[in-house]
Amino acid sequence: MNRAGPGWLAEFQAHFGDVVRTPLDRSSGTLRATPDRYDAVMTRDARDGPRAPGAARLAVYNRQYWFRLFEVLKAAFPLTARLLGYWTFNGHAGRFLLQVPPRGWDIEAAGLGFVPFLEEELRPEDESTRVALLEAARIDAAWRDVSRAPLRPRYRPSDADATHLLESRLIPSEDLQLVEEHSALLELRRTLNGAGAHDRIALPPPLAQPRRWALLATEGGVRQLPLEEREAELVELLRSLTVREALARLEKACGAKERESLPAHARRWLARGVQHGYWSGIVRGERAQSQTTHV
Amino acid sequence: MSSRPPVDEARKRLQRARCIPDDALGLGLRPVHYPHIFEHGPDVDYFEAISENFFGPAPGPRRNLARVRSRYPIVLHGVGLNLLGHAPLDEGYLDALCRLVEELDTPFVTDHLCWTGAHGVSHHDLLPAPYVPELVALAAERADYVQRRLGLPFGIENVSSYVEFEQSTMTEWEFLAAVVREARCWTLLDVNNVHVSSQNHGFDPEVYLDSVDFTRVLQVHLAGFTCESDGTIVDTHDHAVAPHVWNLYASAWRRGGPFPTLLEWDAHIPTMPELLGELAKTREVRA
Repeated sequence: MNRAGPGWLAEFQAHFGDVVRTPLDRSSGTLRATPDRYDAVMTRDARDGPRAPGAARLAVYNRQYWFRLFEVLKAAFPLTARLLGYWTFNGHAGRFLLQVPPRGWDIEAAGLGFVPFLEEELRPEDESTRVALLEAARIDAAWRDVSRAPLRPRYRPSDADATHLLESRLIPSEDLQLVEEHSALLELRRTLNGAGAHDRIALPPPLAQPRRWALLATEGGVRQLPLEEREAELVELLRSLTVREALARLEKACGAKERESLPAHARRWLARGVQHGYWSGIVRGERAQSQTTHV
Repeated sequence: MSSRPPVDEARKRLQRARCIPDDALGLGLRPVHYPHIFEHGPDVDYFEAISENFFGPAPGPRRNLARVRSRYPIVLHGVGLNLLGHAPLDEGYLDALCRLVEELDTPFVTDHLCWTGAHGVSHHDLLPAPYVPELVALAAERADYVQRRLGLPFGIENVSSYVEFEQSTMTEWEFLAAVVREARCWTLLDVNNVHVSSQNHGFDPEVYLDSVDFTRVLQVHLAGFTCESDGTIVDTHDHAVAPHVWNLYASAWRRGGPFPTLLEWDAHIPTMPELLGELAKTREVRA
C-alpha cells in the first residue's frame, strides 16, 4: 500500500523544511547558520541534547542543506564558479535555490534553470564582463547537459533519404549542444584544477573572432568540435526548420560573394554533421512541415 | 506477541536473503576507484552502489557499473526513497529502481528510515521524524510495498541524527525494530550511525544493539565521522572508522555475527589500497 501520511506529518515536515532551507547568514564574511531565525514551531519541538540546545541541533541540517547544494552547483558550473569566485558564486547559488529549490531524487538537476537566473541576476562592473560570465555559464550548462544525455544511435542517411532531404527536418541528437565563446573559455575550463582549487581566476582576453563549437557525448566523455560561423548558424536553423527552409534562411543572411560558395559549403557542413552525429533521425514531408510550424 | 522462527530456519532465511557470503566484506562503490577496480580487480567480496547515481539516461555511469558487475556482486543502496515523507512514495522513482535491480541482478536493496523531501521540495538529506506508533504503521506499509514492488529483500538503515523531537513516544531503536517486524522486511545496521546518534542524544549504544534482531540484518555499515566544535558528531564519511565504532562493531559481531560488512567513504576518499587496509581491520575485530 502506498498512501499519504497523516496531516500532522505534512505540517511537521513543512516546518522542518523551512528550517533546513533558512538562508545562511553572510554578514560576517563566512556562512553561518542563524538558529534565532528558525521557525518557532520547530525550535519548540526540537529537544535539547547533551551537547547543544534544540535550535543549534537543527542548524546541522540547515548547514548541510546549503553546503551540499553549493557543492553540486559548483561541480555543475566549475568555470562560472571560478570566474566569479566561490563567495560570489555561492551568493548567486543561494538566491537561485531559494527561488528554485531542488525537486525529485536527482540532486544534479538542482542546477537546471541557473543560467536564466544568472541572466537576470548578474550585475558585474561592466557589460562585457557580464556577457563573458553568462557565456561561461552557458558553456558549463551545455557541458552538463551533454554529459547527462542518453547516447542514441546516430542518423545515417539512406539512398532514399537523399531524394527527400530538402523537404525533411533533421532531428537533433539529444546530446548535441552548440556554444559560442568570445574568449578562450572552453580551453580555460579544461585547465581548471579539481578539488582544492578555490582562487578566483581572471577572464581570458577577448578573441580576435568568436569561436563556435558543437559539444557531443562520446563513449569516453564530451567531444568538442569546431564550427565555422555559417555552419553553426545552419545547425541551429536545422533544429526547427526543414533543410530547404534552413538553407533559404541562411542564404538570405549571406552577402553576394558568400552565396556563390554556399551550396558547396552547405553540402560539406551537412556531411560533417552526419559524420559526427549531430542528428539522430529525419522527419520527412508533411510531418516535417507541420512540426516546423509549431516551432 | 509474535514468536520468532527457530534459529536454524531464521539463519537459512537470512542466507537466502543476503545471497552473498555471511562474512563478506564490501566497499561503497565510488567513481574515483573505477580505474583501480578495472585494472587490479581488488580483493573485495561485493560493492554497494548508490541507486540514484545510476537512474539517469547518460551511458557512462551505467557502463562503468556493468563493468564492475561483471566481476563483483553489487547491492543497491538508496538515499532518496523518502520512506517517512508525508506524500506517497514516488512511483517513478520505484520504476527506475526496479529497472536498475533487473539490470544488475542485485541480491537486495536498502534505503534509510527517514524522510528526504516534502511539499515538492527535496532536501537531499536523511531527515529524522518523530518516532510514534502511527508512523510505524505507515513506514511498515511502505517498506512492505517496496519489497513487493522489487521482488527482493528490502532493508532499512538506521540514520545518524542530530536532533530529537518532543512528539516522539518511542526510541529510535524501538521504532526501527517495530517497522522491520511489522513489514517483515530487513535491517541495514549502521554501527557508525548508532554511535553518532548515541553521542548526540546521550543514549547507550549497547541498548540500541539489544533491540536489533540480527536474524533480519542484511549487512552492517562502517564509516567515519567528524566532531564539530560544539561537540556534535556529524556522519561525514570522511575519516577512518573510530575506535568506539570498532568496539561497537565487535559487540554487534558477538551478538549477531556473521554478517556482511561494508565500509563507506564519501569525502577525502583514500586510495583503494588504503581503503582495503581499513576494511581489513574488520577481520582483526572479528577474531
